[in-house]
Amino acid sequence: MKYTILWKPILKLVLREFFIAILLLLSVSILIFSILKLAPGDPLHIFINIQTQNPEEIAAIKREFGLDRSIAVQYLSWLNNLIHGNFGNSFRTGRPVFGELIKVGVNTLILTIGSMIVTLLIAIPIAVISSLRRCPFLSWGLTLFAYILSSLPVFWLGYIAIYIFTKKFNLFPFLSAGAASGFRINWIYFLLPIIVLGIGNGSISEIIRHMRAQLERVLSEDYIKAAKAKGASIWRHSFKEGILIPVTTMIAAKIPFILGGAVVVEQVFNWPGMGRLAWQAALDRDYPVIMGITIFAAVVVHLGRLSQTIVFAFVNPQTSEKGEAA
Amino acid sequence: MRTRYIQRGAEVSEFSQIPIWRRANKKDLIQIGFGLFVVFFVLSSYITAVLHLLPYDPLKINLKEMMQSPDYRHILGTDFMGRDILSRIIVGSQAYFMPGLLSIIIALFFGIMAGLVSGYNGGMTDSIISYILDLIDSIPKMVIILLAIAFFRPGIYFIMLIVGITNIPTVASLIKSKVIFLKKRNFIEAGKALGLKTRDIIFKHILWYNCKAIVIIQATLGMAEVILIETSLSYLGFGVQEPEPSWGNMVAAGKDYFFMGDFFLSTAPAAAILISILGFYLLGDGLNNLLEWRRKR
Repeated sequence: MKYTILWKPILKLVLREFFIAILLLLSVSILIFSILKLAPGDPLHIFINIQTQNPEEIAAIKREFGLDRSIAVQYLSWLNNLIHGNFGNSFRTGRPVFGELIKVGVNTLILTIGSMIVTLLIAIPIAVISSLRRCPFLSWGLTLFAYILSSLPVFWLGYIAIYIFTKKFNLFPFLSAGAASGFRINWIYFLLPIIVLGIGNGSISEIIRHMRAQLERVLSEDYIKAAKAKGASIWRHSFKEGILIPVTTMIAAKIPFILGGAVVVEQVFNWPGMGRLAWQAALDRDYPVIMGITIFAAVVVHLGRLSQTIVFAFVNPQTSEKGEAA
Repeated sequence: MRTRYIQRGAEVSEFSQIPIWRRANKKDLIQIGFGLFVVFFVLSSYITAVLHLLPYDPLKINLKEMMQSPDYRHILGTDFMGRDILSRIIVGSQAYFMPGLLSIIIALFFGIMAGLVSGYNGGMTDSIISYILDLIDSIPKMVIILLAIAFFRPGIYFIMLIVGITNIPTVASLIKSKVIFLKKRNFIEAGKALGLKTRDIIFKHILWYNCKAIVIIQATLGMAEVILIETSLSYLGFGVQEPEPSWGNMVAAGKDYFFMGDFFLSTAPAAAILISILGFYLLGDGLNNLLEWRRKR
């Protein structure tokens, strides 16, 4: 039997969530902006120490960067620029923030999304096997294995991986991912950090626990028993509720966590990502870059949640009829 | 009097009334036992460090005994400055223990308050509180922490305060969904009908009788996360600084010797991290299985 998708309520729900996300992003930007202005330290010190001590020149520099105006005016002008797609220029390098952000942001996103996929590839089979309860000993062993994986410190795992690949297998002289220039990309540069972060990010056990609980609940429902009785495939019937929804929930919930782990892995593997840029910018009080990075991270988090809402609405139209996200 | 009556009535809590020691199975007991062992290990090393009962001074440089492998004098060997690794690992537990407790207490206190209020009242209060919690949740933890470190150059207690604040939404959402679930149950309705004070219903019948498990489990998982964050930060060089030992900066200091073939320098603290986080995870999971054991409906 074919059922019709109720487009209108789903669209309404997604629009509502989108609106809330925009509102939250605005509040995040206001919050970060006010913390930036309240924090001790001055972005001008990088110019003043090097170039000039003259008060008139300092005032000129301030005017150039718009730092002489009040906080509210500064924020509004920043917001105005943002609406026109302009993140401002970095105080330190003078280049547009947007370009730098895209350059490192893509690197970080590759790392984050890739390791999310690796984590799921490990977690989903273990969750499925242990929810079947065919072999309790195997499932317990696998769960324990997953717990050990998720409590490995990721930086140490990184060194082990580097050591094994360079010393034992002599696979490549270890350089940073940035050194892989041009179109000849050595895939191992990209794969090794992704796999290390995927294994060691510490969320495998939580994903398995959540998925196992949901799958066990779904597999004991009556409609699965009915499917079993008439000889239909259990997995086709339990896929939506038992696998799709928990996986999307966990992806949306764990993206911020893995973004954080990416900061550490970037350090280990010399990966030119957002963590280093953020740290340098925060030290220099490079306001436009910091704002750009925070907004970028928040946008990634909210995109994850928005996709979760969309999947929920399609799988279970009831949530959208009530007009609330589950 | 009235409270007693409700307790003896049909249901007080949604959990099974079979006592814990009867319904525990072997797997859970093994997990909890290992977890408690780790908790004991961490606690005792903290106390040892506070009372200065260490085998060697963790800061004392002894160049005659550099890079020794484990033997009967130095049970875990010595590092590149001749400092005893065992003593440094024991003192390293000081780096996260008290600050971690602070962060857990903050997360639990504010999380419980926010969850109870927004779950029980609903409506406008709920919307406002959820909005604030969503706001905290929309920036990745590590980004907030790094920004705070760069701006304020804070000590470990301030960092853990921020970690605690960023953990509030998790606790709050768990408590909130539990309260919403419980609010419709008969025993809460009965309590309202009997004219119990709202304060009693919320704190005693919802929080104390039914949310204890969540709180305990979140506390254990919170400690695991605190260890993870503290070691990552001090590995990156932002937490506890070098002469003072912390597991993270011990791994970082040992990494230069890693490629010469001396694994032990960074593997010993890494193993300490692994065992403690694993212990807290297993404790949390075992307690979860044991305390959240639902009655078959």
